[in-house]
Amino acid sequence: MIRLYHIVKSYGDRDALRDISLHIQKGEMVYITGPSGAGKSTMLKLVYGAELPSSGKLLIGGVDVSKLKHAELPSLRRNMGVVFQDFKLLPSRSVAQNVAMALEVIGAPAESIRRRVPAVLNIVGLKGREDDLAGILSGGEKQRVAIARAIVNDPAMLLADEPTGNLDGAMAVEVMEILQAINLRGTTVLVATHDVGLMDRFPYRKLRFVDGRLVASAAAKGART
Amino acid sequence: MTGAFQRALRGLREHTYLAAVATGVIASVLVLLGLYALVVVNIQSALSGWQQDVHVSAYFDSDVAPADQLAAHAAVAARSDVASVELVTAPMAAAWMKERVPEVEPLLLELGEGALPASLEVSLRPGSTGPLAMDSFAEALRATGQFAEIDYGREWVERAAALLATLSLLGGVLGIILVLAALFLVGNTIHLVVYARRDELEILRLVGATESYILTPFLIEGCLEGLVASAFAVAILQLVHHGVVLRLHETLPIAFGGQDLAFLPSSILFGLVTTGITIGIVAGWVAVRRFLARLA
Repeated sequence: MIRLYHIVKSYGDRDALRDISLHIQKGEMVYITGPSGAGKSTMLKLVYGAELPSSGKLLIGGVDVSKLKHAELPSLRRNMGVVFQDFKLLPSRSVAQNVAMALEVIGAPAESIRRRVPAVLNIVGLKGREDDLAGILSGGEKQRVAIARAIVNDPAMLLADEPTGNLDGAMAVEVMEILQAINLRGTTVLVATHDVGLMDRFPYRKLRFVDGRLVASAAAKGART
Repeated sequence: MTGAFQRALRGLREHTYLAAVATGVIASVLVLLGLYALVVVNIQSALSGWQQDVHVSAYFDSDVAPADQLAAHAAVAARSDVASVELVTAPMAAAWMKERVPEVEPLLLELGEGALPASLEVSLRPGSTGPLAMDSFAEALRATGQFAEIDYGREWVERAAALLATLSLLGGVLGIILVLAALFLVGNTIHLVVYARRDELEILRLVGATESYILTPFLIEGCLEGLVASAFAVAILQLVHHGVVLRLHETLPIAFGGQDLAFLPSSILFGLVTTGITIGIVAGWVAVRRFLARLA
């Protein structure tokens, strides 16, 4: 699903990622972990095309992302969902409107949007909250809306950058359970986190980065792949 | 396109204040442009009227016989550039002078019948009142050898033509400066609108929106703002024209050549509306493209 060959990402003189080669299989759930500044977010940005590698090759579903033209990025992003620590919701719009944005950009018919938005809100445990304004939701609920928006198109992969960073313990567990459920439906899930407790509770393969280098790739006990 | 229009309307609803500011800036610039156009149009109209009032007085030599004067009158009347010509004989000139300045009657009696020369009073057709045309006309009269003096206010005609040319040039330069200033001001205002909606744009990029999907509603918003702004500007210009300028005209009729002050012709009004819409669209396009380039 995702293959990196000798990827280097530099910002001026500083290397954020150094000679990274790895393979993430379709349907796998993987943690990208490491201390702050290790390159976790940079790694995700490369995958969703917010950054281009300085050198090396990055294949997603067989497509070399480093060679994609600017105009081809939208088609890449329509096949993946992205979730952030700060949720990135529009607070003045309703839950349904926030989720529907991902369907509107692909030109989904209104009828399809009306059908799919409640269905995906049901998956993330927000059934009946369609008309609530996103701004009044709790942190955990906001992250669920963000996840709903990320998966409403049935993307092949879901990227989550510190999805539990702003949540307390119980809410973080709920969000991880949702991500786990999404993975069980066949979606490849990449989670950037440094929360050791959650990684122990939800054991999957860990890609550990330190100072821009991949220092360990270990399948945890109980991991699906 | 319907979706883009709906998103544009939603954007206007969610950011009414900034949209109102952008509309106000466009309207202000259009009012400035329109006021300048109003002044130029009326000055041009007044100068044009004055130019048309300029006529030629051609004074016959004292030895030209009345029959030759009549023949000269007929020859001049037949010219294509002449609107009207009147033969003022020496007795008619004397009578005219006696009527308006009775004090000179003893002097005229003493000087005799030929005291005032006969003349042709010529009005030229519009288009033949420019400096070159009038020079050419005067030269043709001189060539007949029948006239002692030809008076047509050459200096005035040249000054009027120069003033018109200067006004046209100034109008063009000022117009370009105002439009560029408007693009800068509206661009920055719409940049604020875009900045206020940066989260929305960022999310749209993340969920796979194409550049045209993001850009189109902003262009529609710019178009609508330009349209509303130009409607306001035309209304304000009409108020100014009716309420202020016409009152000024009533107090200073001579300054405007006794003509009614005109409102802007439809071609200029159409130009203002087009300019408003163009400013809105171009400013929106530039602001969003700049923001998207930074996101990329």
